[in-house]
Amino acid sequence: MTATSNGARTMPAVSYTAQWMAAARALETERDDALYRDPLARDLAEPDGFRLIDRYHGGGLLPFISIRTRYLDDAIGTVLDAGTVKQVVLLAAGMDARAFRLDWPDGVTVYEVDHGPLITEKRRRLDALGAVPRADRREVSADLTGEWLPDLERAGFDRDRPTLWVVEALTFFLTEPQVGGLLELLASASAPGSTLAFDILGRALLRSPFSRPFLETLAADGTPWIFGSDDPEPFVAAHGWRVTDLREPGEPGAGEGRWPYEVQPRGRRGANRLWLIRAEVDR
Amino acid sequence: MTSTPVQATGIDRVRGWILGRHADRTELADDVNIIDTRLVDSLSFVELIYTIEEASGTEIDFDSIDIEDFQSLDTIRKAFFA
Repeated sequence: MTATSNGARTMPAVSYTAQWMAAARALETERDDALYRDPLARDLAEPDGFRLIDRYHGGGLLPFISIRTRYLDDAIGTVLDAGTVKQVVLLAAGMDARAFRLDWPDGVTVYEVDHGPLITEKRRRLDALGAVPRADRREVSADLTGEWLPDLERAGFDRDRPTLWVVEALTFFLTEPQVGGLLELLASASAPGSTLAFDILGRALLRSPFSRPFLETLAADGTPWIFGSDDPEPFVAAHGWRVTDLREPGEPGAGEGRWPYEVQPRGRRGANRLWLIRAEVDR
Repeated sequence: MTSTPVQATGIDRVRGWILGRHADRTELADDVNIIDTRLVDSLSFVELIYTIEEASGTEIDFDSIDIEDFQSLDTIRKAFFA
């Protein structure tokens, strides 16, 4: 499946959304009150990212993307500051430029896993920009729908050492069994002390008739949003992880002051949930 | 307009909630489509529903929501304050 208008280089549809995410990060970067700055994002968003910003104008989407990015930045900082984790895996990394923009402690290896065409195109752009990573950055071309752990291990990943997995903006593209299987797969390759930082959307949000036009646009473009949960802790626990931090946008540590909606109490009927999560491997 | 003062108060609370979210607006006519104009979006609709519930004293079933009931203050009035 291809979806870019850039005929010479076509990328699968989920990569198409990588440009969209990059455009969102570029827009955040240009704000006076930016939650983070990603100077490479504007170049990584071409050619489709900004058009997609207009096409997918779902309520709250841009602030959510920014808050999620910052939450995961903070999660990376918190985990690495503790000093025991030295390998970080950005799964379905897309146009993520964290390897170039975060302050990484010495001795940290950052693996960016995505499929080959995206990795190639990203490298071409980063090379043209003269971008220099601030950690030992390793690209891993892999088919995430197949057996990809061997590709990661060939790049140097050591499953006997604790890992920080960052799985940003991925779970909602999968079915519930696929998300459960992914969490279990990550757990199976996680030494004690490993952490998973990721996001899960709410189920009510994905079922709401008010979300339908936005969701139908995504589905028509080949990137339907599928999985959501309104009660993530038991789901995560059932697949090998123990939630250690869970926040929603608008809460302290998750974009408080930037989120244009009320934070609803847990358990409030019908509320739209967007979960930002850190979990430790349960072993 | 045949609504009683109590009903007018209810729909005015809904109107007030929408206006409160949009500092650039000072009025909202009853026939303005609040979804097409993005005055209410996919994330704030739930707050709209809570506001209608509080103003009308009724509980809305999230599983059987008809989006047509939420197009404007007119349709909200007919569905929840009639």
